[in-house]
Amino acid sequence: MNAGSVVAADTAAAVLRAELLQIAEQENDGRRLAERLLQILDASAARELALRGQLKRQDFEAKTRGVQLEALYDVGLAIAGTLDLERLCEEILMRSVSLSDARRGALYLGGGHDLELRRVFGGDAPARLPLDATARESAVLLPGAVHFLAVPVESDGATKGLLVVGDKESRKGVGPFSTGDRRTLELLANQAAIALENLELHQAALDNQRLEREIELASEIQRQILPKGTPEVPGYELAGWNRPARHIGGDYYDFFRLAHGRELGVVLGDVSGKGVPAALLVSTLHSSLRLLLDRLELGSDLFARLNEHILASSSSNKFITLFAARLDVATGDLVYLNAGHNPGILVRRDGRVEQMGPGGLPLGLLPNMSFRAESVNLAPGDLLCLYSDGITEAASPSDEEFGLERLATLLGGVANDSLCEVVTRIDREVSAHAAGLPQGDDQTLLLLRRNPD
Amino acid sequence: MTEVLRLTIDRRDSLAVIQTEGYINNQGGEEIARAAYDLLDGGCRRLLLDLTGTKIINSIGISILIEIIEKMIEVEGRLAFCALTPTIEKTFHIMGLAQYASIYPDQATAVTELLP
Repeated sequence: MNAGSVVAADTAAAVLRAELLQIAEQENDGRRLAERLLQILDASAARELALRGQLKRQDFEAKTRGVQLEALYDVGLAIAGTLDLERLCEEILMRSVSLSDARRGALYLGGGHDLELRRVFGGDAPARLPLDATARESAVLLPGAVHFLAVPVESDGATKGLLVVGDKESRKGVGPFSTGDRRTLELLANQAAIALENLELHQAALDNQRLEREIELASEIQRQILPKGTPEVPGYELAGWNRPARHIGGDYYDFFRLAHGRELGVVLGDVSGKGVPAALLVSTLHSSLRLLLDRLELGSDLFARLNEHILASSSSNKFITLFAARLDVATGDLVYLNAGHNPGILVRRDGRVEQMGPGGLPLGLLPNMSFRAESVNLAPGDLLCLYSDGITEAASPSDEEFGLERLATLLGGVANDSLCEVVTRIDREVSAHAAGLPQGDDQTLLLLRRNPD
Repeated sequence: MTEVLRLTIDRRDSLAVIQTEGYINNQGGEEIARAAYDLLDGGCRRLLLDLTGTKIINSIGISILIEIIEKMIEVEGRLAFCALTPTIEKTFHIMGLAQYASIYPDQATAVTELLP
């Protein structure tokens, strides 16, 4: 019975009441009066029943809306309280199915080119869906469903998913969904979008944390390997300097006392790549070099063996450029090898600059490589400068590199400066060139000067 | 998750425990109603609905449960629920089922309370 029938019952009772009054005035017929009275009572009972039914339905509908509001509130709380996407997907799909009285449902998430099925309820659904509107109109969403309703999960105007329910239930069977169902489903899809955004933000924060930890670890490895100071070598001045970039590279330098102190070894290298993998390869280089120096002279054979070590212990796309030199402390004779590294700069006492170019490819590229050793003599007052490409490739705001020429020119005018001052000058000039741009790569210097007579 | 409702019925003296697993929707609700009315016809006047295996219910299922409650009141019987998820328990409170049927945290507590 609906509201119309309630009004009809009310009107019928009023008509009967009026008629009864008329009969009571006109006739003295007790039986007829009683019959009419019974009719009035029946009509009154029917009216009360109809009203009760109507109130009950209205009460049920109001409470159902209360359940919907509470459900949306709860989903909001759940989203704020967890970053477990699987749990949130289940929560959102279950609420969507129950609040829309659906028999089935599915939740897809993704982005990019297609959507991936994350949760399904009450039947099968395809594992993936194309990210276009036509798919939403097709029965492919929930195969076998007679009626369905699908709303997109959108974030910043981009489709991130699809929430779909199928076959709205009533006591008579299944039927189409209402406008109210669409509104409810859209609200739940909005919640799903918020959950996804939260998760993406959290994931980005975790990635940053992981990167920070990796940088810290790589820095620690590098700090442990690089020399803490410079050895004291009579007749020579030495300096070593390294400043890692924000994202750790793999610069390396070291000094070695060789031949019972009669010789000094110096090396400066640059490992390809960044982060922990680069730092670990520096560690491999460091230990391999130390081990080989116990058995071999710092020369071509040692570089060939080192190449095999690096090749065996690194992935195919990793390599190391390395400059190494062996100095006879007494004579100043210097034997050097350059495996694909930037040319060493030799500044003669009179300011002339000589470059010490590569004599082989970087280490770790190919097996069975040979490396050519070259010789020069370091005369009193001569300065050797080894450096990494973080110095010469430091870029200005107009993307111009600091360059080898600037470095060589600078070194030509430092004859009267201590090596500590030279390091400071190079650092200052490279920084001025970069004009506040972030340092893109490790910067390393190794300086060796034979004292003037 | 089980989606089609399954029922397990356990008679304990004057009490019958109906344990559900799955979705209480139109079909599921009618299954429960059938079982409940059969038990009433058999003279049982205390029913416990254990919803341990049910995580989802819709408004059609709720309306059928209300009908069962009304029937129980009519025959002066008693219906109780136990092991509801927080969501379903909240729904029962809002929809008014909790006014006419007791809700217990688990079956053991409910049985202790319901058995004379």
